[in-house]
Amino acid sequence: MSETLARRELRITRVFDAPRERVWRMWTDADRLATWWGKRGWNTPPGGAIVDARPGGTFRVRSVAEDDGREMVTEAVFREVLAPERLVFADAGGGVATVMLTDLGDGRTQMRFHTTVHASRTAEAGMRSAFDRLAEQLP
Amino acid sequence: MKTGPDQLSTTFQALADPTRRAILARLAHGEATVNELAEPFPMSVQAVSKHLKVLERAGLIARGRTAQLRPSWIQADALREASDWLDGYREFWDESFDRLAESLRA
Repeated sequence: MSETLARRELRITRVFDAPRERVWRMWTDADRLATWWGKRGWNTPPGGAIVDARPGGTFRVRSVAEDDGREMVTEAVFREVLAPERLVFADAGGGVATVMLTDLGDGRTQMRFHTTVHASRTAEAGMRSAFDRLAEQLP
Repeated sequence: MKTGPDQLSTTFQALADPTRRAILARLAHGEATVNELAEPFPMSVQAVSKHLKVLERAGLIARGRTAQLRPSWIQADALREASDWLDGYREFWDESFDRLAESLRA
């Protein structure tokens, strides 16, 4: 059994072929964030993203499913904002996400992403999947 | 297995303890009694019994009702449920970051 599963945390590291400032803006500029946020098939409508990148500022994204118009809202508050290298935000459930950007010196940027998931957030997701399954069974 | 709104929380809380994970790892090899489970741990049978109760409540194990020794065995469904949920969460970020890379190229 993985430690990751037990601790409910996730680490993802990516290297982007772009300077750090550009990757930073992808996170902190609402219009740019709207171009990539969410799974494939989920889009952020115009004005659907609010990114007030300063400590205490709001992070809110409303995504709409292409196929059936379902909506999903992600809401969090910025805890730390250190341009252009470090972002920390916390959701209402107590889950905390950290984004760290490192300039690799050759025009590329390494992004390290880490998130913890609070139990209540877990419960909420469990409830969602339970409702989804219930909906599937209805005629 | 019945999955209520709080089932996943209970499962993750049960999995958060290293002793309980070790007990599960042992049960993955086959059923065992409380005494057998207590053997490798520097703790009393009563303490192991408490851990088993937590695991049972989380739906991660089932225990015999009749025999005095009450063997325990693993219930794979709850574990899969928890793992599937985390996979879904990972998928969200993986796909988002794929799209982020595409946006940077555009």
